Amino acid sequence: MMKHNLKIFSGIYFLFTFLIVLSNTALSQQKGINLKVIFENKVKSDSIILYDSIYTNPFGEKYSINKFRYYISNVRLVNNQGVFTKNTASFLIDEADPQSKEINLKVPMGHYKRLYFLLGVDSSKNVSGAQDGALDPTKDMFWTWNTGYVMAKLEGISTSSSLVNNKYEYHIGGFEGKYNVLKEISFDLPEADDLKPINQLTILITADVNEWWNAVHEIKIIQHAAINSPGALALAMSDNYSKMFRIKKIIIN
Amino acid sequence: MKFITLISFILFIAASAFIIHEEQLLPHLIQPEVPKGWPKPNNIFATNPLTEEGFQLGRKLFYDERLSKDGNFSCASCHQQFAAFATYDHDFSHGFNNQFTTRNAPSLQNLAWVPLYHWDGGVNHIEVQPLSPLTAPNEMAENIDSVLQKLRKDAVYKKMFKNAFGTELINSQRMLKALAQFTGSLVSANSKYDRFKNGQEKFNPSELHGYEVFKAKCATCHNEPLFTDNTFRNNGLPLNSFIKDFGRMRISNESKDSLKFRVPSLRNVGVTQPYMHDGRFYSLGQVIEHYRTGIQQSPTLDSSLREGIAFTKLEKYDLIIFLNTLTDTTFLKNKKYSAPDGNTPLVLSH
Repeated sequence: MMKHNLKIFSGIYFLFTFLIVLSNTALSQQKGINLKVIFENKVKSDSIILYDSIYTNPFGEKYSINKFRYYISNVRLVNNQGVFTKNTASFLIDEADPQSKEINLKVPMGHYKRLYFLLGVDSSKNVSGAQDGALDPTKDMFWTWNTGYVMAKLEGISTSSSLVNNKYEYHIGGFEGKYNVLKEISFDLPEADDLKPINQLTILITADVNEWWNAVHEIKIIQHAAINSPGALALAMSDNYSKMFRIKKIIIN
Repeated sequence: MKFITLISFILFIAASAFIIHEEQLLPHLIQPEVPKGWPKPNNIFATNPLTEEGFQLGRKLFYDERLSKDGNFSCASCHQQFAAFATYDHDFSHGFNNQFTTRNAPSLQNLAWVPLYHWDGGVNHIEVQPLSPLTAPNEMAENIDSVLQKLRKDAVYKKMFKNAFGTELINSQRMLKALAQFTGSLVSANSKYDRFKNGQEKFNPSELHGYEVFKAKCATCHNEPLFTDNTFRNNGLPLNSFIKDFGRMRISNESKDSLKFRVPSLRNVGVTQPYMHDGRFYSLGQVIEHYRTGIQQSPTLDSSLREGIAFTKLEKYDLIIFLNTLTDTTFLKNKKYSAPDGNTPLVLSH
């Protein structure tokens, strides 16, 4: 009797183990495609060389770039049924960190028509306490006196600035009310309409810093060399920089 | 077959034993305290389960001067338990390199019932509040990476982070969550007033009269049982010309919020002097006198204060007596909230 019980018991155990192994295998072979979004930061067609290059903005003001960072979150794709695949992760694109400029996501198979992402950190993550990863406050993109993330940051030197050491400094944030700077960006993906499970979809996006000054509103360094808090100026700047992205290339392989 | 059965059985037992062993290492959950009759608190522990180990880690951090740049200041330097975790007898607290803060340190109590922190409500979650004093150049003047490096070198912290969070990883999120477990547990609800309301103690005639005066003239903003409605109001203080602090307007960017500050709780008000956002009044008598005769008219002045508040001498006297019934000595002396062994709180010399 005892021996019989043991057999049943071990039988169940084996079955259980088998099921676990099976489900793990199923997960790892889940049908999906690799989505890679690469951000290439530029000033017009020039590459960015932090600290060492001098650029000219649309008003003829000379400037260098010491820091250029922005958050990308909620990357999602819409397919031909209009279904969104949504990823709620946040990524900090930092010009100083080459690895940060490439986002890799696994997305389900589908005939994708459009790419969406949020320029900034989803408002929910601004009100939910201490975060980690790309949202760790040690990334120096978090306001301690007025809770919330700096969604985009551009800093450098310009002879047009009358601030100390000719600094100019734009820390753009604000996630609620009329000064909400979060921007949804989207692009059509006509080439990505016929993806197969084995495919990797690579989307190369350029970001042109020169759009920060006048894409929608005119913001001259000589007038506004620093924007460091949520408000009308930050909102105007976000209107501008939301126009900085262009799709350069879509690669399917 | 027999052999395989035996092996698989042994593996099963080993796995079960391992799971049980792991369970023993899990931190011990604590039920957050909600005093009887109080409104529902904000769920500050929703993504940060309150545990004995997390609380003890937060307590150690709270009393650790290494969190400041020069090792002179812990959280407790400005948030002293005997003053309900405010700075006793200081309008502005001391910070790095002989500097002053620009606002009066608020008491830390019943923080789960506070929707927005700081005098201007600029901080929206208890977990991220410590980032402000830790990094302010005139307060602890540190940067978070440097604090974390100091903690990572300490074997005691490694062990405590492991006990609280499962692994020895020390990062900003865990540090902040541990601090929130300590500060979020600071509940004060055992004053004479509370015992009176529970029928355990009686008020004398002065206290009773003071309570009546309070209910008639103060309770609109300082409503029971928390003794604040957590709103932001301009209570008629003339602008301090040195610090030029316009309060909530700095956060909201709205002129309608000019000179508005958070209504502070009056619990333990008898031990948290001086009063107001800039600590300009050193006694409760001065505070009441401000409401009686000192209100400065301005566009954003609270509508309930346009005429000031009338108090007779006796009303003023008994009101102060009532306010002193809000002092919770069990809270001020609770060893659970005191410096843990091995952390001696810094006593500032004056």
